[in-house]
Amino acid sequence: MPWSTAWRIARRDLNGRFQGLRLLLVCLFLGVSALAAIGSLTSAIRGELGQQGQVLLGGDLEVEVWQRALNEEELAFLEQYGTVSPGYRLQAMATTPEVAVPVELKAVDTNYPMYGALTLDGGSTFGAPPPGQAFLAPGAAERLGIGPGEKFTLGTVELMVAGIIEDEPDRLSEGFALGQTVIVALDTPERAGLVVPGSMFQSKTRVAFAGGDDPRDVQDAMEKAFPGSGYDFRTRDRASPGAERFVGRMGEFLTLVGLAALVIAGIGIGGGVNSYLEARRKSIATLKILGATSGDITRIYALQIGIAALVGAGIGVLAGVSVTPILARSLGELLPVNTDLVFDLLALLRAAAFGLLVALVFAAPPLARAREFPAMALMRAGVSPLRREWRLAALPVAGGLIGIAALALVGSPDPLLSAGFLAGAAVLLGVLALLGWAIRKAAAKAPRPANPIVRAALANMHRPGAATGALVTALGFGLAAFVLLAAIQTSLDGNIQRSVPERAPDFFVLDVPKGSLEEFRSLVASVSPEAEITAVPTMRAAVLAFGPEDSMQVVAELEELPEGAWALNGERGITYSETVPDGNVIVEGKWWGANHSGEPLVSIDEDLAAAADLKVGDMITISLLGVERSARIANLRRIDWESLGFNNVFVFSPNAVADAPHNLAATIDLPEGVGTGGLLRDLVSAFPSSSVIEVGPILTEARAILDQVGLAILAAASVAVLAGIAVLLGAIAAARASRTYDTVILRVLGASTRQLLALQFAEFGILALVLAGVSLLMGTGLAWLVITQLFEFDWLPDWSRILAVLGGGLVLVLGFALAASLPLLRARPAQTLRSL
Amino acid sequence: MEILRGIDLIVPQGETLALLGPSGSGKISLMAVLSGLERASSGALSVAGEDFIVLDEDALARARRGRIGIVLQAFHLLPTMTAQENVATPMELAGKGDAWERAAAELDAVGLGHRLTHYPTQLSGGEQQRVAIARAIAPRPPLIFADEPTGNLDHTTGESIIDVLFTRRAETGATLIIITHDEHLAARCDRIVTLGDGLIVSDRKVG
Repeated sequence: MPWSTAWRIARRDLNGRFQGLRLLLVCLFLGVSALAAIGSLTSAIRGELGQQGQVLLGGDLEVEVWQRALNEEELAFLEQYGTVSPGYRLQAMATTPEVAVPVELKAVDTNYPMYGALTLDGGSTFGAPPPGQAFLAPGAAERLGIGPGEKFTLGTVELMVAGIIEDEPDRLSEGFALGQTVIVALDTPERAGLVVPGSMFQSKTRVAFAGGDDPRDVQDAMEKAFPGSGYDFRTRDRASPGAERFVGRMGEFLTLVGLAALVIAGIGIGGGVNSYLEARRKSIATLKILGATSGDITRIYALQIGIAALVGAGIGVLAGVSVTPILARSLGELLPVNTDLVFDLLALLRAAAFGLLVALVFAAPPLARAREFPAMALMRAGVSPLRREWRLAALPVAGGLIGIAALALVGSPDPLLSAGFLAGAAVLLGVLALLGWAIRKAAAKAPRPANPIVRAALANMHRPGAATGALVTALGFGLAAFVLLAAIQTSLDGNIQRSVPERAPDFFVLDVPKGSLEEFRSLVASVSPEAEITAVPTMRAAVLAFGPEDSMQVVAELEELPEGAWALNGERGITYSETVPDGNVIVEGKWWGANHSGEPLVSIDEDLAAAADLKVGDMITISLLGVERSARIANLRRIDWESLGFNNVFVFSPNAVADAPHNLAATIDLPEGVGTGGLLRDLVSAFPSSSVIEVGPILTEARAILDQVGLAILAAASVAVLAGIAVLLGAIAAARASRTYDTVILRVLGASTRQLLALQFAEFGILALVLAGVSLLMGTGLAWLVITQLFEFDWLPDWSRILAVLGGGLVLVLGFALAASLPLLRARPAQTLRSL
Repeated sequence: MEILRGIDLIVPQGETLALLGPSGSGKISLMAVLSGLERASSGALSVAGEDFIVLDEDALARARRGRIGIVLQAFHLLPTMTAQENVATPMELAGKGDAWERAAAELDAVGLGHRLTHYPTQLSGGEQQRVAIARAIAPRPPLIFADEPTGNLDHTTGESIIDVLFTRRAETGATLIIITHDEHLAARCDRIVTLGDGLIVSDRKVG
């Protein structure tokens, strides 16, 4: 039969409303729309990050260095490439007579912004504020309770609010800040006494290239020209590594969610196509009687299923594209994203291709079976069991699987994770298929229960044509989806709970002048004599070289940092101490004694020692404020990173670094019931150059961010659960169709409604109970993977909540099963028998 | 299990033959083998000049096209297609370009010219069986099988259906083999073959 004739017959036979193929439509729609939305959204964000690299960075290259500005030679070096715009970033306190608020001070010169535009409330654009004035982020203005034209104090100077910031083009590349932004002129921090030797500030010098230089070449040249200067570089193509990492991780997770939804949808597609073709047995037999060959049957129904799949995938793509702007708007505050309709053809084609390939894999086996439906089925009730046409299905299934794997691996930023996920899904499907087979066998071998209802339920599981295998797969995946969601949610909750320590200090105070510690202590004691104060010296230094004295490894010569040796990268906070820091334990070597005056020594974190292969006796050379200093490793420490206090990877003996200009950082613990407001005001007025950070509001904010991330993850995972519910409903509906005959006959034989309901309940109940254990294992296993491997959170599930959700899932399954059988119970036997 | 044993039957072109026999006697199996719906495991079988023994299932399906028409007791129309589409389908499967027109003409001939666009559920039992007869006869096959064509119909409707079947057969000159329990219907045929336990127990001409 030519394809044109097959198409004519297929079109005729295909109900315009796709009756019978709706499960396939819904499953494909859910899976494809999820993938299309995910693809469009991530590409919208990535596109924006890529296109706006210069604007986000505010230059082509940024050179960051702690506690100093670039010197004349360094600036001259950069100026040969284009326009240079120096600036400072530091924590500071903005105060009015009423309140003191920690802010992120951003001091910029007149070239700012070199790319993009700084927009103030009202729409006007500006560069740097004039001396004596400041632009405030809305949050800062709100907390200070001031507006344009009003004044506030910063350190030792008084500034006037010149405007409220509406859009700060380089906000994203600035990273996480403990306070709201206040933009001031370049010389303001110095005039305010905030930038002095030893104070903790960062200089950021940006360059806008005049020619077509490659930022990385300039970076290499500068590192070569000024070796060991401890620079951190940012380039326009990686303006915001943090955001890129987040988007990459989130995109990977969302793609996995989409794939999970598609795998679950695939089961629904298989079930839907199977039910559809089973319902068309008579039509297929009739067509065969009229002269259609098996090949004709394949063509006709492949066309029908193909059309339905195309429609499902097409609507899915449209829906995916349409919801992207809504998702983009909800993410707009966190990330730069185009909130218009985004058509990333490649992402959409990829989503559609995934959907169609999954449809091919799962629809091919029932289609291969259908082509063998015998014509004689019309003339005799019982016909010989069908041959399983695995060979016919093998080619499209294998081709589809290869296509899916190739698509997943080629387009994935983390092919190993995608491959692992797909392999895991395949194993799960295999396990469920095996379980379905085992349940059938066990039901057949089980002793016949005396209770007729349980006996009939058991028989339903193993009789010829029983849908046990399909039900086990669908129910297993559906229930596992519930468990997965619950495990992810409770683990995220656990992480959020734990991220807020039970006992955190009330204040962190940065940049306490080291000569003013006693004054600081007495001020705190005057407010609360029982307050606990911990103060440590703070400075920043970059590791230049490390290792045995005679063969030290120069960090700049490393192609890649050893895994886990993050502390060797760029400038890090360091301190010195005469005693072992609180909460630290010496695991190897000895602590230096009081008033140590011998060779300069250093104590390092045991994890860093393991990662960089450092041993007691090895040497470390650092660059501290541009000066090289070396120290011998005297001991290794175990640090409790969970404690919210001062934890430093490097602690030096005082004689190693104490002579460098530096300030102190302090924590203040107030006894219960002591208000924090008064102390905050007193500290800010007595130490205007220090930053006082109240911990409570910061933790609340951190918790809110984690909550948001958790919500986003949950919303994404819900797609998989929706697909799971659709599959559950489809499987139950398909099982109901095969029960119709039995139910009606039992009704004729006098079975009561209660007995028939009990029969359904028993069958699904037995299956659900068996599957509960398997789903628990599968769902929590997958959740563990997502939580620990993908998001690198701790695995902190709340088992009682997970079990409650699983119980809810079981109730839902039984509810659906019973609800699906209700119409059957209402039917009058005589009428139903006639239509059978 | 051997269902049909030692059956030796030649049906000349244009003959009408009734197959009688109790349930389980092998009537359906004989018709299935003769119409190519099932393959005989041994013996010789030539239908309309084609050797059915050597053909596989798909070749048998192709051999049925245009050669064999089948009318079943439960009509078995395709529920998703209109009367005209149902009748046109076998001709389309056989690649006939004028399937559509011939379907309309055949439906007209069985008295359903006004029901072309109706779906099976919109037709009475008698009308559905007329559509089934039109579907079997429209390709002008030399051989028509009918399995209890009136089994699902009341007496009066059944009579009219048989009239239509015999009239259209006479007009096309096809061979007709009817499975029936109805002696009255069998008597309208040229020949009656009675089966019992897979064997021909009687074969007589109707006088």
